[in-house]
Amino acid sequence: MAALIRLSSVCRRGVKPLFYQSTLLVRPLAVPHKHQEQPYLLTARIHSSQALYASGSNSAASLHWTAERVLSILLLAMGPVAYFSPGPVIDYSLAAALTLHGHWGLGQVVTDYVHGDTKIKLANVGLFLLSTITFTGLCYFNYNDVGICKAVALLWSK
Amino acid sequence: IAAPMGSTAKEEMNKFWDKNVRLNRPMSPHITIYKWSVPMMMSIMHRGTGIGLTGAVSAFAMAALVLPGSYPYYLDLIHSLSIGPFLTGLAKFGIAFPLSYHTYNGIRHLCWDFGKGFKIPEVYSTGYTVIGLSVLTSRGAAM
Repeated sequence: MAALIRLSSVCRRGVKPLFYQSTLLVRPLAVPHKHQEQPYLLTARIHSSQALYASGSNSAASLHWTAERVLSILLLAMGPVAYFSPGPVIDYSLAAALTLHGHWGLGQVVTDYVHGDTKIKLANVGLFLLSTITFTGLCYFNYNDVGICKAVALLWSK
Repeated sequence: IAAPMGSTAKEEMNKFWDKNVRLNRPMSPHITIYKWSVPMMMSIMHRGTGIGLTGAVSAFAMAALVLPGSYPYYLDLIHSLSIGPFLTGLAKFGIAFPLSYHTYNGIRHLCWDFGKGFKIPEVYSTGYTVIGLSVLTSRGAAM
């Protein structure tokens, strides 16, 4: 075990950096005789087993992150469009983008503050229901009433 | 000598939270003792305005589904209450400010996502710019 911890870390930078070394993220195991011969090969295997988690930017989580930013930029662009050329296309696009942006935003709030598998599942189901109702209501409003752009225009005219 | 860990970060975090709940551990003071800074306040404002705006949109959508009358009908109803210019302006400011703040600060966030503006003086200058623009925009919208 001592062989895995570089003494220089302790001497030069104090104890704290030790906690961030990946060599501490392994559990000590009863040593089979053959592993004592080639520690560098074992280290290579440990690091490569984590390669799955360290792979490029194509995991579901990082794709979601990128999608969130793309949607934000899209929503930003919809503002001027809604102002300068209002109509049903932008009304429905706004309904979709607004709902999804809010849904993903509240999803991050749930991730940050809700803990425990059951509570997380409940919160996300509730959120999904809320977002579904929101999108339905907005589309209903666009179809049966004046639509989002006109509604904002009318509200501000008073 | 050692074996790689088989659990994910998510599993480890859940184990941590479960243990805290199981042992009934109290939460260490954090926001009650740490000195507040402008970036901290702006960050929670961004979240607060986001939650508020989403709540308002959802409330509007649910009202559209539930209420029998049309939008112009309810608008006229509000008009007939003769609220007065000051309160009307205040209401407009109250709607415009969360939207402006969240939008401008959202742009600031997107700059961070592109790796720009992380130096501490930049965090503060862009922060004050967002606040200033939000107030100006909302005041303009309220007139």
